[in-house]
Amino acid sequence: MTMMPASEPSAAAVGDEDPSLSKRVADRYLKREVLGEGTYGVVFKAIDTKTGQTVAIKKIRLGKYKEGVNFTALREIKLLKELKDPNIIELIDAFPHKGNLHLVFEFMESDLEAVIRDRNIVLSPADIKSYLQMTLKGLAYCHKKWVLHRDMKPNNLLIAADGQLKLADFGLARIFGSPDRKFTHQVFARWYRAPELLFGTKQYGAGVDVWAAGCIFAELLLRRPFLQGSSDIDQLGKIFAAFGTPKPSQWPDMVYLPDYVEYQHVPAPPLRSLFPMASDDALDLLSKMFTYDPKARISVQQALEHRYFSSVPAPTKPSLLPRPPRKGDSLNHRPSEFNSQEGPLVLSPPRKLRRVTVHHHEGLEGNVYQQDKADEHMGEERHGETTGQSGNMPMSIDLGAVFGSRPIPRPTLNSADRSHLKRKLDLDAEFE
Amino acid sequence: MAANFWTSSHHKQLLDPDGVDVVHPLDKEKGLTQEEFRLIKIHMTFYILKLAQQVKVRQRVMATAVTYLRRVYTRRSMTEYDPRLVAPTCLYLASKAEESTVQARLLVFYIKKMCSDEKYRFEIKDILEMEMKLLEALDYYLVVYHPYRPLLQLLQDAGITDLTQVAWGLVNDTYKMDLILIYPPYMIALACIYIGSVLKDKETTAWFEELRVDMNAVKNISMEILDFYDYFTLAGGEHQKGIPEERINPALSKLATKA
Repeated sequence: MTMMPASEPSAAAVGDEDPSLSKRVADRYLKREVLGEGTYGVVFKAIDTKTGQTVAIKKIRLGKYKEGVNFTALREIKLLKELKDPNIIELIDAFPHKGNLHLVFEFMESDLEAVIRDRNIVLSPADIKSYLQMTLKGLAYCHKKWVLHRDMKPNNLLIAADGQLKLADFGLARIFGSPDRKFTHQVFARWYRAPELLFGTKQYGAGVDVWAAGCIFAELLLRRPFLQGSSDIDQLGKIFAAFGTPKPSQWPDMVYLPDYVEYQHVPAPPLRSLFPMASDDALDLLSKMFTYDPKARISVQQALEHRYFSSVPAPTKPSLLPRPPRKGDSLNHRPSEFNSQEGPLVLSPPRKLRRVTVHHHEGLEGNVYQQDKADEHMGEERHGETTGQSGNMPMSIDLGAVFGSRPIPRPTLNSADRSHLKRKLDLDAEFE
Repeated sequence: MAANFWTSSHHKQLLDPDGVDVVHPLDKEKGLTQEEFRLIKIHMTFYILKLAQQVKVRQRVMATAVTYLRRVYTRRSMTEYDPRLVAPTCLYLASKAEESTVQARLLVFYIKKMCSDEKYRFEIKDILEMEMKLLEALDYYLVVYHPYRPLLQLLQDAGITDLTQVAWGLVNDTYKMDLILIYPPYMIALACIYIGSVLKDKETTAWFEELRVDMNAVKNISMEILDFYDYFTLAGGEHQKGIPEERINPALSKLATKA
């Protein structure tokens, strides 16, 4: 077996096309540049010598506490082995190498967040329809197999070379099916969390993924995250400001939820005023995905059968969809001396810093719920930085300073959340 | 676990009865007989159950662990994969896969408490190394379906929930065989209901007919289960303790895996 030297990022050949410099992993894969830091380890690009295919290999860090294969990684492996669909990332192979588990995925060029953020890209109504349809198809397949994704967000929707969108990152996903099964509500990045989760429900179903998909639909239309709450309370405030405070008649079970608090009543503005450019069909589907009562919320399958998808314009063919420049393209233009000393370069500055988010004041947030606790907001700020840093990116470029203002940090599940979540999941009441 | 067994990897991996209970060539070289192979698997099933009771995990975690163990030995030799290490590691892996993690150090602690025999004692690092090897041996397929859930549903449907105890116990015992590798879980559940209804003199013929399942298949599985009970008694097996040591130790010593 050809051993590669320490598979630390520093040993990775960065964008180097000279095969003598690229390393073989487990005999089969030619190692290329590091793509980034995944949830639980380094991700690098590689060539599968068996098929000639470009792949992404996730090296799973072993847990700190002598607990073997990372729990989240194991969950992802377990589910992805069951899920084979054109709109779900394919787990091609898995192998141990030097005591670490490696997962081989199909290589994905971009993700939906990059598409939405890229100001050079114009998304036509047909393009948006196509992206949403692929998202829902992948999700429908999961739900058919009784798998909840639980972390739907543009960043986890990857885009393949042929334009196909694929659901990825199943580290939070779970098999569901028992109606009385209790789950943790600490799932999803906050902006994509359904109201029942924000009210602390532990018995939820496929509806949470539908709500998140609705948020993604809205984000495709608006080209910015739709409901950007700075805390859970504020998130609910943003939701209610957009759709009106739910009445018990709309959502009878609401008042019984564990963390239910009464909100001051605000009426719903016309949906049209929030999405001035959307078609009537789009608005109708959107409103059904944002139905408060999870029992009344449209299912993914019903959403796919909605008139929106059969009316004109037809969804754009995936191969014709506008996409941002490929990950790694920028690399080719870098002077080569950058490569040698400082270890791997991050291929592009983290999008989270580069992003210019227009602060919007549409009366959406000017309400009583906007008592952002300063400390919470600070936490988010810091958090935004942590997700962006990967320890090995060039330190010199301060894009925040270049643009003059820092964009709103996008909340994700940070490591504290994750370990909390892990404990919660471990403690989840189980059936049987 | 939820529905959709039919599209699962478990379904695709079901084996032909001839494909299980085959002694690996390496083990054959060591002189391990078919009989001994079978006894070791029964013994290790008991071992997993006892360990599982100590660390207090759910029924389905044990069931999944035993399924992993039995799957592994359709593909790997006991010579290379010491059953005394594979058994606890299967429980460790199953506890993760079934979302109720047991810490490796806790397992090691209880193994030491339970087993006086040096050959059963392993360190955390042994378990973690074996975990990786097992993942490979299982080809990373971890989702397993069990007869318990269909059993409860079917009993409910037949209106014979008073059979639950007997049938549940029967299902437990099927893990001392390789049935879970061969038949869909609901068929195993049906066979256990069938045996239970015969034992308890319940009239279920009409209900079985309405199910439109292959009754011959159900009866054949039932026969296999009943044969197992005979075999187990003959082998000196006891309900709580399992196979007596004097039958297991000679078999295990043939493998002589741990230095």
